[in-house]
Amino acid sequence: MIAAENSLRPGRMLWAGVLFRLDSGWHIYWQNPGDSGEPPKIRWVLPQGFQAGAVEWPRPIRLGSGSVIDYGYEGQVLLMAPLRIPAALDDSAPATIGAEVKYIVCREICIPGEAQLTLAIPAAKDSSRHFSQWRELFERTRAQWPQAAPRGWKISARSQGGNFILTMRGEAPPRDVAFFPLDANVIENSARQILASSGAGIQLTLRKSDQLSKPVATLRGVLVLDGTKAYQISVPIAPR
Amino acid sequence: MRRKLAVCAVLALAAMLAAGWAWAARVGERAPGFTATDSNGKVHTLSEYAGKYVVLEWTNRDCPFTRKHYESGNMQALQRKWTSRGVIWLTVASSAPGAQGYVTATDENAYLAKSGAAPTAVLLDAAGTLGHLYDAKTTPHMFVINPQGILIYDGAIDDRPTTDTADVAGAKNYVSLALEEAMAGKAVSVSTSRPYGCGVKYGN
Repeated sequence: MIAAENSLRPGRMLWAGVLFRLDSGWHIYWQNPGDSGEPPKIRWVLPQGFQAGAVEWPRPIRLGSGSVIDYGYEGQVLLMAPLRIPAALDDSAPATIGAEVKYIVCREICIPGEAQLTLAIPAAKDSSRHFSQWRELFERTRAQWPQAAPRGWKISARSQGGNFILTMRGEAPPRDVAFFPLDANVIENSARQILASSGAGIQLTLRKSDQLSKPVATLRGVLVLDGTKAYQISVPIAPR
Repeated sequence: MRRKLAVCAVLALAAMLAAGWAWAARVGERAPGFTATDSNGKVHTLSEYAGKYVVLEWTNRDCPFTRKHYESGNMQALQRKWTSRGVIWLTVASSAPGAQGYVTATDENAYLAKSGAAPTAVLLDAAGTLGHLYDAKTTPHMFVINPQGILIYDGAIDDRPTTDTADVAGAKNYVSLALEEAMAGKAVSVSTSRPYGCGVKYGN
């Protein structure tokens, strides 16, 4: 476990996270793991008065081949969350920030793991921020978070037979688009996502999940453009 | 002309197979028929079980999600409970040779005896034919077929997607729920769920 700062500023926010360093070929999973696997679960164990916000998930990659496709991370990934430090902070001793982490890491095989992590951080002596050696990693990870879709974009989705058609206008057409669904059982993860570009925008055809038994009101997920830019989208689906 | 049409149909079928969606099993529709051989060399077809409930359970004995249900005794208990009530329980091993969970007939029979597993049969599907036919994604991945041959459940074994044996107690078992409801003449309240587990270790 690592934190972006070396000291606790009363009443402020501290970003702390669990850093996974995976050997080559191994992966862990995104919040929607896709066809198999499970996302890591982090349970914060915090001193009195501290509060943890939600974990922020960097943009995932598509994993696997054939009929079983997963969403997750390879190499190094930092899953961080904001921790609210109480205004009345006991500064007599360093506070111990703890996390119980349950995860499953897979290559051809899967291995479950569990870790009890702790990090002791002293209260700040003054009001300035004292960044830790991990500051840059926190910044780089932040750059991998999906952003809100730009206001100028026009995104729409419709249901058409066995597919959802996602249409997006307002961006110079990217060469490559990947949609990562936030919800399970909405699209068929292993189906090829078919991209069509026109001057004004793009159209992405996503095959509906075979398990989709009820109409879906909203298509929610992350759009990754050219493997680098990631946007959160939540689009109502026009019925047909 | 007729011949040409037949050729077209064959081509279309081949294309659908290549795209992998020829007979995707879908809840509410007829479950795809199959013929498969079990660990004792006996051949099973879905059609021979018309008039009975059939459960399909995808397995990989070394997958931690599968182990959760065997080491806790949960899967064996489910197999005993439902086969004693006339349900046909077919465990399917679709791991390819060399992949985790691949079993020979001899291996599998020794494991069945040791683990106390009690399915009707274990179907050996190293080629992945049955797995792809049902689009089985994970181990475990569970399917329930009713006596009319209609698929009534496709998804996870229960609502606790973990590898922790402690989570078996208190979990809502979707297979038992589907069977209980269907046998009582009720609609199945949870007919699909995201199956959880290790990916099925297909060879292709």
